[in-house]
Amino acid sequence: MSQITLAKGITMGLRRAMEADPKVLVMGEDVGKLGGVFRVTDGLQKDFGEDRVIDTPLAESGIIGTAIGLALRGYRPVCEIQFDGFVYPAFDQIVSQLAKMRARALGKISLPVVIRIPVGGGIGAVEHHSESNEAYFAHTAGLKVVACSNPVDAYFMVQQAVASDDPVILYEPKRRYWEKAELDESLTLEQALPMSAARVVREGADITVAAYGPTVKTAMEAATAAAEEGTSIEVVDLRSLSPLDMPTLRSSVERTGRLVVVHEAPVFLGMGAEVAARITESCFYALEAPVLRVGGFDTPYPPSRVEEDYLPDLDRILDAVDRSLAY
Amino acid sequence: MKQFKLPDVGEGLTEAEIVSWKVKPGDTVKVNEIVVEIETAKSLVELPSPFAGVVAELLVEEGTTVDVGTPIITVDDGSGPAAAPPRDDMLPAIPEDPSAVGTPAEDLAVEPGLIGGPAPGGRTSVLVGYGPRTTSAVRRPRKGATPAGASAATAQQAVQTSMMTTPTPVQEPEGEQVPDVAPARTVPSARDTATSRALAKPPVRKLAKDLGVDLATVTPTGDGGVVTRGDVEQAADLSAGERPIGRPAADKSTGERETRVPVKGVRKMTAQAMVSSAFTAPHVTEWVTVDVTRTMELVERLRADRDWQGVRVSPLLVVMKALLLATKRNPEVNAAWDEAAQEIVVKHYVNLGIAAATPRGLVVPNIKDADALSLRELADALAALVDTARAGRTQPAEMSGGTMTITNVGIFGVDSGTPILNPGESVILCFGQVRPMPWVHEGEVTVRQVTQLAISFDHRLIDGQLGSMFLSDIARVLEDPATALLW
Amino acid sequence: MSASAESASVGSATEPVSAGPGVAMPPIPSATPSEPELVQLLTPEGERVTHPTYSVDVTDEELRGLYRDLVLVRRVDAEATALQRQGELGIWASLLGQEAAQVGSGRAMREDDYAFPTYREHGVAWCRGVDPLNLLGLFRGVNHGGWDPNEKNFHLYTIVIGAQTLHATGYAMGMQKDGAESAVIAYFGDGATSQGDVNEAFIYASVFNAPVVFFCQNNQWAISEPIEKQSRIPLYQRAMGFGFPGIRVDGNDVLAVLAVTKAALQNAREGNGPTLVEAYTYRMGAHTTSDDPTRYRLTDELESWKLKDPIERLKAYLVRTGKIDQPFLDALETESDELAAHVRQGCLDMLDPEPLSIFDHVYAEAHPMIDEEREQFAAYLDTFEGSEQS
Repeated sequence: MSQITLAKGITMGLRRAMEADPKVLVMGEDVGKLGGVFRVTDGLQKDFGEDRVIDTPLAESGIIGTAIGLALRGYRPVCEIQFDGFVYPAFDQIVSQLAKMRARALGKISLPVVIRIPVGGGIGAVEHHSESNEAYFAHTAGLKVVACSNPVDAYFMVQQAVASDDPVILYEPKRRYWEKAELDESLTLEQALPMSAARVVREGADITVAAYGPTVKTAMEAATAAAEEGTSIEVVDLRSLSPLDMPTLRSSVERTGRLVVVHEAPVFLGMGAEVAARITESCFYALEAPVLRVGGFDTPYPPSRVEEDYLPDLDRILDAVDRSLAY
Repeated sequence: MKQFKLPDVGEGLTEAEIVSWKVKPGDTVKVNEIVVEIETAKSLVELPSPFAGVVAELLVEEGTTVDVGTPIITVDDGSGPAAAPPRDDMLPAIPEDPSAVGTPAEDLAVEPGLIGGPAPGGRTSVLVGYGPRTTSAVRRPRKGATPAGASAATAQQAVQTSMMTTPTPVQEPEGEQVPDVAPARTVPSARDTATSRALAKPPVRKLAKDLGVDLATVTPTGDGGVVTRGDVEQAADLSAGERPIGRPAADKSTGERETRVPVKGVRKMTAQAMVSSAFTAPHVTEWVTVDVTRTMELVERLRADRDWQGVRVSPLLVVMKALLLATKRNPEVNAAWDEAAQEIVVKHYVNLGIAAATPRGLVVPNIKDADALSLRELADALAALVDTARAGRTQPAEMSGGTMTITNVGIFGVDSGTPILNPGESVILCFGQVRPMPWVHEGEVTVRQVTQLAISFDHRLIDGQLGSMFLSDIARVLEDPATALLW
Repeated sequence: MSASAESASVGSATEPVSAGPGVAMPPIPSATPSEPELVQLLTPEGERVTHPTYSVDVTDEELRGLYRDLVLVRRVDAEATALQRQGELGIWASLLGQEAAQVGSGRAMREDDYAFPTYREHGVAWCRGVDPLNLLGLFRGVNHGGWDPNEKNFHLYTIVIGAQTLHATGYAMGMQKDGAESAVIAYFGDGATSQGDVNEAFIYASVFNAPVVFFCQNNQWAISEPIEKQSRIPLYQRAMGFGFPGIRVDGNDVLAVLAVTKAALQNAREGNGPTLVEAYTYRMGAHTTSDDPTRYRLTDELESWKLKDPIERLKAYLVRTGKIDQPFLDALETESDELAAHVRQGCLDMLDPEPLSIFDHVYAEAHPMIDEEREQFAAYLDTFEGSEQS
């Protein structure tokens, strides 16, 4: 057992993946000597060489486009997009090319490309460094979209993403990079919860709160505060946004009868909208209240000095919990 | 004169040692000039002065360990003698829960200011901003006892009911520790076998709630075990006026020695409100025994009066009027304690709450602006309030905004009690049963109609004298309703 | 299709690869760049030198003005860095070492010209007359911009790398359509030259003959990546491939930058299309305040560039030629301190935005959903203790 941060979890997972398969490459801006702006790839270039840990020119479309080519040639590139707001230059390559190529080739080719994106706000950053754009990609057929929320998941999910023959976008909650947890390194990839499964991270009876990535911790804190008030919140970490693990979520909502979905992204057409629609369809008779969403506002991400008003926090979650329980 | 307080240099630490001063009293310092070196649990850090001026005093000796926030140096910046502290927001915030700070693990220690290293305000440095801030599992206090939109759904005080409402004991995660990855989903098997909740569509749920029907006890007739509107209506008819609240019919037949009743709905609300009140407001309870023979005569007279035909008149009505009259003479009792503002809010209106036993449990609807109503209007309002409550149709708005309450325990055949304040109010009057008792009347022991009144008040804002005078005034009206004419 | 014959040149000396039956293998020309030329009018030692093409005619007063600009801009930058260290700014992108490139190009502009900056053009902002305090809002996190771009013809800072070069080109196309005799200057860095947007801007500007000067400050580092990771040829030589001239200028020589930029802007105004100016300079500080350059570059490099400091060389020249004296320097230091104090105080006085301001300026026209969200959020905020009833 060792105590690791979330960032270190990714680093260790990448290292494992690179050790296991010489075809695994890491590429991106500043991922080499610097070890990435969040130090996630720290030490990898030193140990695996410049051939496998590639400092790319400063061009995101280029990173993804060439990763597609490398994948076509049998490599398994892990691309780092430096910040969420910088993925858009690569949008065409991801949405029009990466996502669709397998279907166009009638399944004859696979593109095992992983795109790691540090996501979300709460780090007091300047603009374009705090965005949550998962809905764009979850909306795109052909991509798997997952979000880790803790160091142990980070360690396993990045390995699972590399192992997947589908393109995977792995969202890493950047304000949680320095959260710590114990990792049992003797656990194997096969023993880990599958990448596409949700997890009940706290059991409760009165209401389900579903979150992913950075808001899982917020939801856990809300559950702790609510327990003080006598409300028992069940927290589900969705983990996978495409595909969604509906059975796990459904079984939770069927028990509690109430659901609040939390994410940093704007609620309008966000993941919460899809989850709410699906739960309403499948758990209609079990619902005590409409599914409520807590998320960012339908505005540009605000300047950092007001970001805490924009981001869903413990109080906003509990406000929704209160409203749900009042039905 | 400005004071520099020891900042949290970014590691979420609570204290640091003053290692060496780089300046001495009389020295001129510039903004950003290093004034002191401190040692935290992690590293030696030099602190730059946020002010320019002349060092007036070093407040902490070298070698001393002080808490974050302690003034360590005074700089005369010419701003005058007032030793005004620097603007609070110039100082990094002290995290509420240092253990929750996302500082790097020891083996990953990074220099302050560099990525992954500590940043001001208990944050962690990032390339592009202030860095992530710590949070804690504490709720910001909201106005009143109930959150917005939730009406009276939750009270703020801790009521540990989760153990009772959970089918299996809740695994309390350790602090912020994220769960370990288990080889598979760790759901106790008991959860899988736990019965699903009753199935019904939203309007049927609403109906069941309004009628006080617990869906779980209703036999469903719909497809797939769905409870229908008819099922709920039938269940409501069956249970009307029969089954006391909170005692499911099942408890006798099962033969178990205990029955666990989920704490929810009105019961949960009541529990939370009562705990909140009992542990927030210091209660004082006073009693008075009153000869209410004349009040009872007045009640009889009104009942017989032609103009009052069809109007429900009860002793409670007169008690209400007596309380309103006494409030007029002692207006300070009709007040509330605003902890956040550190103010006493004296209300110039009386929303008079009446505690009512209903099929769903105890509810306390109130009569808005009761002080402005005539006796007749008051009687009508009371009748309407009671009818609505009995039908289980009391709306949240009718239960909010109360300023004083009367609880009429007399109808259960008891003399009195020590009532607990409705949260946010300062006075509650308990009205006991009226019964014939031997009483000294006009110098002789005779049989009179006697009752006991108890009043609890919030001692934070109502002193014994005021409370006593208020109670005594009520008693005087009940003893002789004609007193009202004098007031 | 003979594409393979044109592109494949992987053959070894002994065993030429056959491109196919009957096809001869023409030699592929080498892409070795020609020796870069550097326009310089003032050496690192402070000697005035001449250049066959570019010269600058400045009065002593103007020289003192340029020196003052350089000193004040560096002082503002230092103060902002200090403010970041004290937690008053979330981040600061220092221009340390690039003062001459920015002041030289900034002073080359006319009032009617228009600048599109990155997020590091504090020196250009100064020359355009933007109060340095306005630059701080973005970095403090109280706004995303903080000035009216049209007031000083200085666009907002653009953080997404290279995106503004297309905006600049479009703006220049607009000037051209209007018949205005003005020009646009687009700032970007060496890293940005890899971006598709920048290359597309080159193409558009070239094809439409837009009056835009692409001003690339090659400070040698894109965060941790040296220029070799972005380009195998000197950046200015790229312009040739797009069909317009490129010039490399000593970016630490304020006079050369002024001369070259003035010429390029005038060329553009006269309808001769774009120019790429590569100001060869050095990022003496970190990428931003939290970056740690010791992880990826050697101190020697920094030390060697210190000898080419843009301010020191001008000072040496002015002192030696008697154009400035101690009283001038003393007065300038006082002015620097006052400017720094103004920036510091103004920064501390910047109020955090009101929570409801999040909803401002999202749309020009009414948007009922945003209005509803604003109302709901206001009502929510009012439920907390200590909030004012609104």
